[in-house]
Amino acid sequence: MPNRTLLAGENAENSAPVMKADLKHLLPAFRALHKHTRMTRFCMALIDLSGTLHVDDQAQPGAVAAIDRLRQSGIPLRFVTNTTKESKRLIHQRLLNMGFHIKIDEIFTSLTAARKILEAKKWRPWFIVSDEAMEDFDGLPTENPNAVVIGLAPEKLNHENMNKAFDMIFNQGAHLVAIHKSRYYQTKHGLALGPGAFVTGLEYATDTKAQVVGKPDAAFFLSAIPGSLCTHKLNEIVMIGDDIRDDVGGALKAGLSAILVRTGKYKAGDEAKIEPSHPTFIANDIVEAVNYILEDEL
Amino acid sequence: MSGKWLDTSIKGFLLDITGVCYDSAGNSGIPIEGSIEAIKLLRQAKIPFRFCSNESTASRVHLARKLGEIGFDIKAEEITCPAPVAAQLLRERGLRPFFLVKDEVLEEFEGINSTNANCVVMGDAQENFSYENVNRAFSVLINSPTPILISMGCGRYYKETDGLKIDVGAYCKGLEYACGIKAEFVGKPDPKYFLSALEQLKISPANCVMIGDDVAGDCGAAQKAGMRALLVRTGKYRPEDERRTDVQPDGVVDNLLQAVQAFLDFKNAKAE
Repeated sequence: MPNRTLLAGENAENSAPVMKADLKHLLPAFRALHKHTRMTRFCMALIDLSGTLHVDDQAQPGAVAAIDRLRQSGIPLRFVTNTTKESKRLIHQRLLNMGFHIKIDEIFTSLTAARKILEAKKWRPWFIVSDEAMEDFDGLPTENPNAVVIGLAPEKLNHENMNKAFDMIFNQGAHLVAIHKSRYYQTKHGLALGPGAFVTGLEYATDTKAQVVGKPDAAFFLSAIPGSLCTHKLNEIVMIGDDIRDDVGGALKAGLSAILVRTGKYKAGDEAKIEPSHPTFIANDIVEAVNYILEDEL
Repeated sequence: MSGKWLDTSIKGFLLDITGVCYDSAGNSGIPIEGSIEAIKLLRQAKIPFRFCSNESTASRVHLARKLGEIGFDIKAEEITCPAPVAAQLLRERGLRPFFLVKDEVLEEFEGINSTNANCVVMGDAQENFSYENVNRAFSVLINSPTPILISMGCGRYYKETDGLKIDVGAYCKGLEYACGIKAEFVGKPDPKYFLSALEQLKISPANCVMIGDDVAGDCGAAQKAGMRALLVRTGKYRPEDERRTDVQPDGVVDNLLQAVQAFLDFKNAKAE
């Protein structure tokens, strides 16, 4: 057999014996690499936190191991949360305490996104935001405020502050920035009211529209995707969450794929709430969602 | 002031209270200039009139007493308020409410069982609109297979002596949004509500003029019920209210007294 370069598609088995031996040597590494690229059709996963990975300080059963498995597939992970009650640092600390292996730079919160908007627009904020979250706004100018920034702050969402916000918006023309507009969220005591109700109330009373920062805004999902991934088709990026509108509906609208998990705030019949679109997949929990992404047997 | 709303068919008036008679300030308030006298003049001239209010912070008895303390001669039975209408509705449908209201209005709901709530009744709860209380209302609604939310009015804001205040409608729309439901509203702008006040007066809509400070909730709504409507430049009134194209009152007056005097002058001139 003449000694020549292999052509594309030609089988190395028929080539020089020395090459065959080299390939055998590389096989374990090749298989490992091959496994990674074959295991999932998705190039990235965005994952919701509260209700999907945990409720309060309790990790969902199997969630820690599921995230570890997903990470082993080699695709980048980002954690996108509308939690407005605590700073990114505190959220990260809480996730570590629950046993999750997550880096702080992988977390994208609506708080940090709100800060970016305030900085970009040079707005001077007045906050209805929990004290635990305020460190994410350190250093912003707050004198003579011209923007009401509202998050989930049970101790501050009261009539007095609502009246002050109303006065600033209605009489002084301040902007209304909603860190997010979630209807409700899951606590260990059941569903609890999100900031969306209060944002909607202010919108109605002042006849204005809030600038909504977090999920389901498409810009928020896209901000979590690294620039290097932009060449991929957006539908190869999958969002996992328990909120049919904010996680699933929002991601689908942004062009991503989306998995609804039936944990956290999920209520029977939620699937139909975003018709005519439909979740890419419906999983019982984060473990099943990860199995689906990794194309394991369900 | 234009007098084109005046004619001989006018037999009576419906008067809004907050922003027309007085500006509220917590448990007290300040009469709007001339309003005490305007009501006296109507009584002296024996012109039928009734108060048609969305006030839900207090019972009628409580409200009449509060107005009496600042100089008004107004009886509880002359006031149409949403609370008794809501109470009647609860009785008819056998509903057990969770109340998101001020304590001062609760006497209108006496005898209604509110244990194991299966609906929410809300009014202008003011300082009772804490996160905790609104969240309790939310819990009742979100955990009910057939959520029922009854709101006494759906106003956006109203005037207190120290400025405009956010009204029950804001919190009601918030709960509607959070629960994905539609509330049932009792009070203005429901035409049935105006008509129930007119039944008490025993005059027909075409013979009645509504006087209010809310260009849409008072004036536009009264017009839809077949009445004429005057907007006063007191209370929550803002100059842009006169430039709206969607609602146009039949007349705009500086205050209640100006409207009453214009009507009495017109009536006296016709009589001479």
